[in-house]
Amino acid sequence: MESSQETLFLPSFCDIRLVFAVVVIAELMAFVLVLANGRADPWNDLGLVSLFVQWIALSSAAALCLARPLLVRIRSTAAVLASYLLLLLITVLISELAWHMGGLVQAGGRVGHVEFLFRNTMISAIVSGLVLRYLFVQHQWRRQIQAEAQARVQALQARIRPHFLFNSMNSIAALTGSDPQRAEMAVQDLSDLFRVTLRDASERVLLEEEIDVAARYLRMESLRLGERLRVEWDIERLPRKRRVPSLILQPLLENAVYHGIEGLPQGGRITIHGATEGKRIVITVRNPRATRGIASHRKGNRIALDNIRQRLQLVFGSQAGVAMREVDDEFETTLYFPREKVA
Amino acid sequence: MKCLVVDDEVLARERLTRMLDQLEGCQVCGEAADGEQALGQVQALAPELVLMDIRMPGMDGLEAARYLLKLENPPAVVFTTAYGDHALEAFDTQAIDYLLKPIHPERLQQALDKARRLSPAQLDGVGDSEGRVRTHLCARNRGNLELIPVDEIAYLQADQKYVTVRSATQKILVEDALKTLEQEFAGRFMRIHRNALVATRLIRALEKDSQGRCRVVLEGIEERLEVSRRLLPEVRRLIRKGS
Repeated sequence: MESSQETLFLPSFCDIRLVFAVVVIAELMAFVLVLANGRADPWNDLGLVSLFVQWIALSSAAALCLARPLLVRIRSTAAVLASYLLLLLITVLISELAWHMGGLVQAGGRVGHVEFLFRNTMISAIVSGLVLRYLFVQHQWRRQIQAEAQARVQALQARIRPHFLFNSMNSIAALTGSDPQRAEMAVQDLSDLFRVTLRDASERVLLEEEIDVAARYLRMESLRLGERLRVEWDIERLPRKRRVPSLILQPLLENAVYHGIEGLPQGGRITIHGATEGKRIVITVRNPRATRGIASHRKGNRIALDNIRQRLQLVFGSQAGVAMREVDDEFETTLYFPREKVA
Repeated sequence: MKCLVVDDEVLARERLTRMLDQLEGCQVCGEAADGEQALGQVQALAPELVLMDIRMPGMDGLEAARYLLKLENPPAVVFTTAYGDHALEAFDTQAIDYLLKPIHPERLQQALDKARRLSPAQLDGVGDSEGRVRTHLCARNRGNLELIPVDEIAYLQADQKYVTVRSATQKILVEDALKTLEQEFAGRFMRIHRNALVATRLIRALEKDSQGRCRVVLEGIEERLEVSRRLLPEVRRLIRKGS
């Protein structure tokens, strides 16, 4: 895999598909040369010119294929220069050989030995320059895309609110005095939660693991909120073994607590419903909304939802997504993604 | 020193109470779970110090602290907070004491040692920058605090020095200016006259009195407030949109 930072700008010319591309492009170039010659019957020359151009092109490809192990080791500018010189050298050598074999010279008209070499080298200099530049730019572009994708995955790494961490720590501090056993359990839950957030963002987990994380999170919160937090799970019909990006459900619950339950003096009920619907898996979270801070709820939700949506779509494409709506005085957030893995 | 512990989380209250009980010269006289309860407890128990969580459902700590200032003999207030409370940034510039949860016993002792009363100026800077909107309006009546939830207010009418705040069941006088109230609760109240704001959701209809002046009908309210000619089109538009 192209995981190392410095990769060669040249694609591997040993690859048969690339060799085929080289043949096609060389042939097109032969056409151009013949057509540009301006003679009455250009098709007569095509065979010979094609042979000559293909000879150079395929030899170049072979040379680059063989030189690849060496080129990888030097800096990229040096590699560009070396490949360029290699291509020119091959042109000169093959032109020289062709001159001595003679056929092409008759077809090409009456030109001298030196002029013949000079012309071919110039054509090669221009064409090789263009091709190498194209490859170089494309390589840069691909590297940039890769870097951006990497950065995006990193940036999307789900995080748990610090607010939650410190409040939980406070609950634990309180429990160590009054109920050490529950304090111990809370420390375990909290560790598990944070272990999950420290995982690589691109890692997939089983849906049942994700649900376990969500349940741990809610257990921590109910420690703090007591009777105010009521939870109802309805996930019997959810396929447990599906792999999903981690932390897609927990942030929804965190929002439900932070913007919903916490703002209500009497608290409320969070309902988590999950099932397969046709070809999709759908998970719905419902929570009452606090009368205050509805605007902040929408905004906080939007950020979290955008994050989840992007992570889901990096894995499942456009068939996955997240939606939020307000039903009466409740917020309802829905996650959906394909039931089967898309190839 | 008599202390009141205010926090919406039971465990947080438990811990703070336990810590305060262990400190010398400190005695927890009561607990409250939100701002409104805290105001009631302060008036009933007259503590010298209130340890107040900032983020609470309903009336939050900052709002409650602001109303405490209206009391004749307000207690000292020390805020407690976990993290991510917007008001924290404002604290840096204001000389208000606050404790970060989980609270260290030494920090608690320090805070008690220098516990002092807040001045209105100190509280004024806090939270305002965040566009914090109050949940209640508060007035002092013979030494007691009277509260009206903003959601229940039908109209606000300015009368020289005071603003009359009217709900279906209550009527109090507050010292806030009508202009600042209009800004604070923008969208929820609508100006219908130089001296009056009415709750947008309660506007039902317009009536003409014998002199041909327009008056607005508010749901659940007997009085009819005059609408100035300049603001009439806007009220009409709202009624048309609602019906």
